[in-house]
Amino acid sequence: MAERARLAGIGASEGVAVGPVFVHRPGELKPERETIPEGSADAELERFREAVAVVVEQLAETADELRNAGSESEAGIFDAHAEMAEDEDLHEGVEERVRGLQSPEAAILEVGEEYAALFAAMDDEYMAARADDVRDVAHQIAAQLMGRDATGLASLGTPSVVLATSLAPSDTARIPKGMALAFVTAEGSKTSHVSIMARSMGIPAVVGVGAILEGSFDAKSVAVDGGEGFAVVDPDPETVAGFEAKMEVMAEERAALEKYRDIEARTSDGRRIEVAANLGSAKDAEDAISMGAEGVGLFRTEFLFMERDQLPTEDEQYENYAAVTRAFGERPVVIRTLDVGGDKDLPGVDQPVEENPFLGWRGIRMCLDVPELFKPQLRALLRAGAHGNLKIMFPMVADVSEIRAAKKILDECRDELQSEGAEFGTVSVGVMVETPAAAILAEALAPEVDFFSIGTNDLVQYTLAADRGNEKLRHLQSADHPAVLKLIGMTCEAARGAGIWVGVCGEAAGEPVLIPKLIELGVTELSMSAPSIPRAKKVVSEV
Amino acid sequence: MVEREVVVVPEAGLHARPAAMFVKEAKRYSSDITVRKDDGTEANAKSSLKLMTLGAKHGDKLTIRAEGEDEDAAVEALVAVISKEEE
Repeated sequence: MAERARLAGIGASEGVAVGPVFVHRPGELKPERETIPEGSADAELERFREAVAVVVEQLAETADELRNAGSESEAGIFDAHAEMAEDEDLHEGVEERVRGLQSPEAAILEVGEEYAALFAAMDDEYMAARADDVRDVAHQIAAQLMGRDATGLASLGTPSVVLATSLAPSDTARIPKGMALAFVTAEGSKTSHVSIMARSMGIPAVVGVGAILEGSFDAKSVAVDGGEGFAVVDPDPETVAGFEAKMEVMAEERAALEKYRDIEARTSDGRRIEVAANLGSAKDAEDAISMGAEGVGLFRTEFLFMERDQLPTEDEQYENYAAVTRAFGERPVVIRTLDVGGDKDLPGVDQPVEENPFLGWRGIRMCLDVPELFKPQLRALLRAGAHGNLKIMFPMVADVSEIRAAKKILDECRDELQSEGAEFGTVSVGVMVETPAAAILAEALAPEVDFFSIGTNDLVQYTLAADRGNEKLRHLQSADHPAVLKLIGMTCEAARGAGIWVGVCGEAAGEPVLIPKLIELGVTELSMSAPSIPRAKKVVSEV
Repeated sequence: MVEREVVVVPEAGLHARPAAMFVKEAKRYSSDITVRKDDGTEANAKSSLKLMTLGAKHGDKLTIRAEGEDEDAAVEALVAVISKEEE
């Protein structure tokens, strides 16, 4: 490895760090003993069961910590690992071998490897990936049996930059708090385990730098830039100074943004721009308000419908919508009606298998066809409207007839509530502009509604015909493209003609380079993930 | 011994979550329970690792066999798990 080598990879988690190197080399775990003396099988099996219990307990603890921190999907990884560690057949395989006088550590590594090979050979990408999980679990049990840390990561005592071919969730979870300054891995993408963990731990990560650890790697220190996606091996003092300066700038930036957090966002010439938060559940409302949210520009209702046996009742929905509406008082709360398609299962709704769910039966298309899904949601929204400034937004609109049909059903719900003597509020109605059709037809849609909110993520994907998740199409995944900006301009112009307001509720709303352009085009509300709010308010005030 | 044929309904097949639910149910019974695919491969119904290596997909035909005190109830319950969409 040449000195001061520059490793280019994918920026998977923002931030910069400089520190000593810790190279993590898994797979070097060798059983201490291959065999055990005759007559000791029972005692060794008892040790094996104890080791499993310890590993399962550690896994459960990690899962709990992640769950308490709100990282449900990462917690699920550890649940699955705990279950593998306790698997009956895995244990039988070990028992058979130990009875044949193989050491338990050799046995578990061998059985784990057998399952890993079975999974790896499966003709299914998801199942093949489970090979790493089994291997990881087997290693943990073997390490526990030998009374040592499988990887050395758990005994990391100096804050270091961790380099590895790849890092399993159990690896990152074992590192003592504060000891990992950054991750650099040879493999991986933005969506691999290590990237997700790094972002939730708030430490920089560069992944996919290529085969750096083949052969010897004796670097002393590494500088990592997780935003730009590169690392410098054994940086010279000049490079270190550059990184330290950037660290300082980032820390200052965070501090400087503090004072923008609670201001009412206005441009330098006095135009009022509302900076709001995108929320996925009512319990996130307080956090968003503390970050300076001036309302909710997009409240996703999908979570209420997912991972359950039956559809949520009208009352349950009402409680949720009322809670978020109340939390924001007079401030606007835009709630989007259900936007689910063939990519997610809905209890009680017969969804056909679709080749292309993002161009399929989803959003308002499905809701209009399934009144038993749509009407309870609209009734709940109208009722919640009595508690604040609630606005209803319809997703996936591609035709004027759709918004007219939706409004007709909304009117029916209002009449029903009226005749039942139920309490409900006045709510305004808007279209989520995310299909190119809605932008092109904005002039026809505008007289039908009170506002537009541009969902830039999908508008970009549909306009540029570029899958949001495809890493190879990164250059076609930004709203900063003339075709997308033109559609946003058309939407704003139509809104101006009809006297209604326009917001943006996609990634673009929080991007400093795009904010001035969006305001220039006529957007007056920007809605984003809550942590981006202070920076967006600063950018707005400088326009 | 009780044996029944069933078609895999969950869209994802016997992947992680459906397999975990299946194993959880199987463990409630004392009977020995096996799952056989029509290509002859077989797995212990109480091991999610083994079950996943069957690679049973949506629409595959499986035979569930139980032997023991609660064999009837076990087969019935497991057929029900595998015959419904994942929640």
